[in-house]
Amino acid sequence: MATTPPRKVALVANCLLNQNAKVCEGARFRGVVSPVVEALRSRGYTLLQLPCPELAFAGARRWWAVYEQYDTPAYRAHCRRLAQAIAPLIEGHIRNGDEVILIGLDGSPSSGVRFTSTQRDWGGRPNHPEDDWEIEPRRGIWIEELEAELARRGLPPVPATGWALDMGRFDEAGSRRDLEEFLDGRP
Amino acid sequence: MNPDVRGWRMALTPEALINSSAPLPDVLGVLDASGYGVLQLPPPGDYSLLLAVIADQVEEYSHHGYAVVAIGVQGLPGNGLHWRRLAPLLRHRGIALPPRHIIRPDVDAAAEGQRLARWLDAYDLPVEEQQRWR
Repeated sequence: MATTPPRKVALVANCLLNQNAKVCEGARFRGVVSPVVEALRSRGYTLLQLPCPELAFAGARRWWAVYEQYDTPAYRAHCRRLAQAIAPLIEGHIRNGDEVILIGLDGSPSSGVRFTSTQRDWGGRPNHPEDDWEIEPRRGIWIEELEAELARRGLPPVPATGWALDMGRFDEAGSRRDLEEFLDGRP
Repeated sequence: MNPDVRGWRMALTPEALINSSAPLPDVLGVLDASGYGVLQLPPPGDYSLLLAVIADQVEEYSHHGYAVVAIGVQGLPGNGLHWRRLAPLLRHRGIALPPRHIIRPDVDAAAEGQRLARWLDAYDLPVEEQQRWR
């Protein structure tokens, strides 16, 4: 990548630019999650969309799942392949001196940053009532593997937060406030 | 749960159009207003693994009732769409190539934005294919 003046670059979870990636019943916007895009663009960030690990692995019609169900060797290997696909672009930005941040999707078993979903007894027939999964403060599996790939390349940790779309009851105003506090609290 | 409001349509879009500035129209704004999602393509360069990952996603969407289009920009190599690499990847997966719309940077940006919006609004899968999945 040619050296260019430093830019502000936001790595964004795939579904923040494409709600079609969500599990059935999970899409809150038609396509683009406009409040996230507006918050980032108005502060001068350019956008770099991450791949969606779940869509390419478990499909467009996948069941809902929690962290423990995706925590398998095959899914982690798939996430590592995706991380290796996108890491050269991220590395180019960091080595160029760009200010890089990451906006994930809190509550997601894959793209969670501050929180992921957990339920140790999920499995078998998918007949659990809604909302019997829980939230715990932990990265999702995709974010864990992406951060591990960046570390393998000798890159510093990327400041990160999550848009709280997958936390059970979606609170758009609260999500927006959290994101703006994160963005405006940066040095 | 809240109702699912996905739009079932999305556009392969070059980085240069997602983070566009004058003289290009605000393509991301047009996509948002038209209810399209985005599949971001990398800038010019060798990103073959990433293009394969993107082709996997297009294949999955194409098999399940989603409409996928591509928006290029005149003047970039391959219109910014990596078409010489992406088209064979899609063909090998047995997928019809997405219809393409090319943005012209040398004409009025507002008019180009409106031309894009009309094209996006007019496109979708055949009704019987929509009814099968949506």
